[in-house]
Amino acid sequence: MIQTIGLQKSFGDNHVLRGVDLHIERGQIVAIIGPSGSGKSTFLRSLIGLERIDGGTIRIEGEALAEDGRYPKERVCRQVCRGMGMVFQHFNLFPHMSVRGNLTAAPLAAKKLTKDEADAKCADLLARVGLSDKIDAMPSSLSGGQKQRVAIARALMMDPDILLFDEPTSALDPELTGEVLAVMKDLTGTGITMVIVTHEMAFAREVADRVIFMDGGVVAVDGRPEEVFDDPKNERLKAFLRAL
Amino acid sequence: MFENLASIFSILMQGIGYTLTVFAVTIVLSIPLGLLLTFASRSRIAPLRWITRAYVFVIRGTPLMLQLFFVYFGLPFLPVVGPYLKLGRLAAANIAFVLNYAAYFCEIFRGGLLSIDPGQYEAAKVLGFGRFRTMIQIILPQMIKVALPSVANETITLVKDTALVSVIGLSDLMELSKKLVNSMVDVTPYIIAAGIYLVLIFALTKLFEKLEKKAAY
Repeated sequence: MIQTIGLQKSFGDNHVLRGVDLHIERGQIVAIIGPSGSGKSTFLRSLIGLERIDGGTIRIEGEALAEDGRYPKERVCRQVCRGMGMVFQHFNLFPHMSVRGNLTAAPLAAKKLTKDEADAKCADLLARVGLSDKIDAMPSSLSGGQKQRVAIARALMMDPDILLFDEPTSALDPELTGEVLAVMKDLTGTGITMVIVTHEMAFAREVADRVIFMDGGVVAVDGRPEEVFDDPKNERLKAFLRAL
Repeated sequence: MFENLASIFSILMQGIGYTLTVFAVTIVLSIPLGLLLTFASRSRIAPLRWITRAYVFVIRGTPLMLQLFFVYFGLPFLPVVGPYLKLGRLAAANIAFVLNYAAYFCEIFRGGLLSIDPGQYEAAKVLGFGRFRTMIQIILPQMIKVALPSVANETITLVKDTALVSVIGLSDLMELSKKLVNSMVDVTPYIIAAGIYLVLIFALTKLFEKLEKKAAY
């Protein structure tokens, strides 16, 4: 469960988040859409501590990551975020490690798994994302779609309850988005809470339980996909969807 | 003729000990010290950053020869502690070189760190890596790859810079060749000394080529 109350965030004069209130239930698949500059990426990044908010409260499974804009010690923040994973627009694979190294480094560092357990899990997850043959490949030899599938498998190695996706297909060639979206769709039945910032409206409509339209740093529309896409009431949302 | 060459060579080889000692001590100590300075220059503690910046500024802004003179001749004149700072020539040379090269290595490593994509820190963070592990496992291996060509360049410069120790009276390769040229009234010792420097640098060049291949990914 993710709860945010009145999130505020500015970058200099740019007031990006202007009071974001959101409650995401366990297991929900939430797509966040909106024009660029609407604060959707900043909001997502703040949920896992990559952006520090200036005001408001973030609770993850009831534990406070930030309370009235104040953060606890780094150790506590890490503890609160331990059940969350994130997939980035630019993959952010570790270029000096093989695919196996990318997947196993974190669980081994956290002593969450033994070497054998990590290797077995790595093989399982690579099979799941269709990249078993790339286990010893270096990231530089992979296509964008393959890199992103490795990044998803890497996030899954830590058994997240919540997985955040920050425009996971925006850096990909159009013909490569399908393979990544297929892997994400495959995850939707597993009970993992997914929060996806995306420009893929067809995908959002198909897999999301709930679509959030962010505009001007607030949640402007929050509804089921069919409500948001088929019968938009909000004028800004109408304009946004028309412009696509 | 060849006997003559052999005897010049054997005299010069007596000086190479100092050359190699200063070189080895400087490499072994200044690289870790430079790395520490790099971390200090990025510390969350502001005074630590200021001190590091000032240190690098002073070291890079003054001649190495002055620094050598300062450590060997100058330190003993300091009030109170001066009498305890009368160093031997080799010790003074080593200290001045280590302090000098650490500042340059600090800048090389700092540049290497700046080249690393912020996304690497973010990926490490969301995967639960702490600051220390992020540095050791994720950032340093990538930084080393970026920094290696500059480190190679600096190392090669160091071989030649060791010739400066002759100014505080150490009989290194440079000093001995100069003495031989003066006493023999013949340029051959310089040519042989140049050959020895070239051999050292050739070996280092090959070594760094290997290291760069190893660090590639």
